[in-house]
Amino acid sequence: MKSWTFAVKRLAYSGVSLLGLSILIFVIARVLPGDPARLALGPRAPQSVVEALRLQLHLNDPVYTQYFYWLRGIFTGDWGIALFTQRNVLIDVSDFLPATIELILFAAIIDLVIAVPLGLAAGRRANSIVDNGVRVLSYVGIAVPSFVVAILLQLFLGYGTHLFPLIGRISQNVVPPTQITGLYTLDALLTGNPGAFADSVWHLILPAFALALGPIAQEARIMRSSVVENLDKDFTLSEVSHGLPERTITFKYLMKPSLIPTITIYALDISAQIANAFLIETIFIWPGFSKYGLNAMLSKDLNAIVAVVMVAGVMFVIANILVDLVVGYLDPRIRLQRRTEE
Amino acid sequence: MDVRRFQKRKAIGRSVIATAVVVILVVVGVGAYYVFVPGQGAGTQTTTPTSTQSTSGAAGTLSLTFANVPNADPAKGSDEASSAALANLYDSLVFPTSSGTIQKDLATSWTVSSDGLTYTFTIRSGVTFHNSDALTASDVVYSLNRFISVGQGYSYLFSPYVSTVSAPNSNTVVIQLKKTFGPFLSALVRLYVVDQKLVSSHYNSTAPNNDYGSTWLLTNDAGSGPYQMSSANLESNMVIKAYSNYWNGTQPYQPQTVNMIGSSDSSTVHALFTSGQIQITDQWQPYSNVLALSQLKEAKLVTIPTVNEFYLMIDTTKAPTDDIYVRQAMSYAFNYSSVINNIFPGSKPSAGPVPTALPGHNPSIPASSQNLALAQQAIQKSKYYGKLTNYPVTYWWVTQVPSEQKMALEFASDMQKIGVTVNVVGQPWLTVVANLAAESTSPNVVSITDGASYFEAGSVLQSRYTTPSEGTWEQNEWLHNSTLDNMIFSALSTLDQTQRFQQYNTIQQQIYNQYPTVYAFDVYEARAYYPTVVNWYAANGHPIVLLGYDFYFRDFQFYPSQLTALFG
Repeated sequence: MKSWTFAVKRLAYSGVSLLGLSILIFVIARVLPGDPARLALGPRAPQSVVEALRLQLHLNDPVYTQYFYWLRGIFTGDWGIALFTQRNVLIDVSDFLPATIELILFAAIIDLVIAVPLGLAAGRRANSIVDNGVRVLSYVGIAVPSFVVAILLQLFLGYGTHLFPLIGRISQNVVPPTQITGLYTLDALLTGNPGAFADSVWHLILPAFALALGPIAQEARIMRSSVVENLDKDFTLSEVSHGLPERTITFKYLMKPSLIPTITIYALDISAQIANAFLIETIFIWPGFSKYGLNAMLSKDLNAIVAVVMVAGVMFVIANILVDLVVGYLDPRIRLQRRTEE
Repeated sequence: MDVRRFQKRKAIGRSVIATAVVVILVVVGVGAYYVFVPGQGAGTQTTTPTSTQSTSGAAGTLSLTFANVPNADPAKGSDEASSAALANLYDSLVFPTSSGTIQKDLATSWTVSSDGLTYTFTIRSGVTFHNSDALTASDVVYSLNRFISVGQGYSYLFSPYVSTVSAPNSNTVVIQLKKTFGPFLSALVRLYVVDQKLVSSHYNSTAPNNDYGSTWLLTNDAGSGPYQMSSANLESNMVIKAYSNYWNGTQPYQPQTVNMIGSSDSSTVHALFTSGQIQITDQWQPYSNVLALSQLKEAKLVTIPTVNEFYLMIDTTKAPTDDIYVRQAMSYAFNYSSVINNIFPGSKPSAGPVPTALPGHNPSIPASSQNLALAQQAIQKSKYYGKLTNYPVTYWWVTQVPSEQKMALEFASDMQKIGVTVNVVGQPWLTVVANLAAESTSPNVVSITDGASYFEAGSVLQSRYTTPSEGTWEQNEWLHNSTLDNMIFSALSTLDQTQRFQQYNTIQQQIYNQYPTVYAFDVYEARAYYPTVVNWYAANGHPIVLLGYDFYFRDFQFYPSQLTALFG
């Protein structure tokens, strides 16, 4: 099976999964306590206004009818009104999602750049000082929650040393780049605005690192285990017996197969951040989608809750497909197996 | 693969890595140059910021935190941040004063018909909106009609009373009421005038009722107030800047730019205040945090009165709290001073159902205090005395406010002294709201803060103790008392203020005598601020206690040079 056929098939299967997810979250959101219309309008709003909002949101209809309206709206650009911001959820998504995507992408870069070399070094020198050092770092990274890391970074590197800004996406005295993608760094590069680019990167470093530390710790351990396992494989012993230099063995023949489990976890970790970044976004007052999701939950904002969960679901699906493609690239046996299945 | 090909690929790989490193170094170097060298950088400007997602502080900007980012639609916003933003972005017909009265604002004069049903206002001439459109009487008419049609925010103050509103000429507005409403002029501080032409041009034709321009007004303003909106991000902050053509002029030291940050996260606020990036903290900080911040160099702690009160709302229909003697005993047994001193420091004792700072409060009602002897006497008169163990009291506290748990445990401990068993249960706010909707699902006691929307006791009495508020989070007492309803609505319809206040006094005494509520304390906002940087009237003993009006920035005096001297 060719890669693109495989991707199309996976997309089709994923569509079914997303449909199931949408039904599930739609029903769950509606059995939460409280009348969303009354919650949105407050106790003093006239009942007539509450009733009008209920009608607008189709809350008086059966759940399956509400679901039908929602599903139709998804394809026509009407994602429903968010009670929290009082506007179309689609506008909210397009406003807040890029900030979170940018944060997650930077966290992903930091994660990859640190976790893979750490794991490789630890695995190649198993039980050495390097390995033990990486082990301790990994335990700390896994055990300490990201919000604690965020607060510590903010206090020491933001407040204490003034090396990094405490909050926000960009300094108040810097004009944000003209919006193209919504990712400040990318937009700044596209519009040739180096000042905005540097300032955005400067703002990204602390929250992205806080977000990345947990995954770094986890993936460094997985990479290390994978490297140790592959060191005992026949192909490695054969390369050693042929006298290939250690660096060649490590980077050319050992790293590739060892990356397979790491990449799988890496993709899942990164895609999970869309829903998990809310504490980081709260601490750094990052105007992102994850924090928006938290507010939606707290105010029983039905349309926003469903949108947040669905976007997170789509991110997982995309990440999984990409992982499958990357793993297929890294491991020829998987590609061959797919062709055999075809 | 032969060795030469391998070496060639290796060389290419090294070149790629080297190039990437050089590119990264150049980018970082250029970036660092732009960021760290003062006065450099294509993206740096020294004028007022116009960014849409800028949060970090800038010199010359007064920055402060709120619980959330304001909702700047005058027909929708009603929380503290929104009320503060609206007071600065928009003008109203009248304006509240620190003495609890109102003064002229857009209205230069007014007359009231003898039956109290017709109000005629003369509108100030020469007022312009921020886009230079002239403000006329028709804008006032449009704003009131829009307000009532949207039906949200503070519109409940007008929708039951206003019959028609018209503009016989460009500087006269006539408001006809369906029934008399004594505090109508006080309530008018919440009618913010929008530019009809501008708002109408931003209607969303695909939304129900064209959405009345609401979506546009969330991130733009159509007002004539002393400040205009510079930028708004609904997840982070709103920046407003002084309007140079304000009809009442500008003040010499008013802040030119104000950054209203929507975050009350303790660690963030701590770091921001300590580094001088905000100059006033929000009211939602734990007292220990505010106290610590106020001990910084040049910082100060200030407690500002509000028109909010912390109530322990008692269900008067469920056993054993349906017995007045049980409720009376609870009121006497509760250790108010412990709560005020240890859990909510800075707050003050309450005295009955109306906050003491609110005009119309009955001064003859004594401040709440513990008296165990009287509590014992009351409980012995109860029909449940001797069998109270069969009637445990359910007490709900809102889990979003952790300090409430301590107060709940204090309550349970105090009630043990009179033989009442209390089951303390933490509930999320949504669950509290949902369950208070029905008498059958509400608890014996629930702790909630509530307050006034306008400058009179009637505001609280109506929202807390009339039958229409049953089933909302504002009442767990379930009084079902039509006599009390009639008294409250009669007072609200009384035009003469002296008579109205007398009626308020009688009503408060009557409610107090029924012990439907434990009046825990009057809420005082505890904040840390830098007095040398900000001269703030509310902190200097002249607060305008109406929600949002302690932040009328035109009356602030802001000294950026002091800020620079403190923090560099």
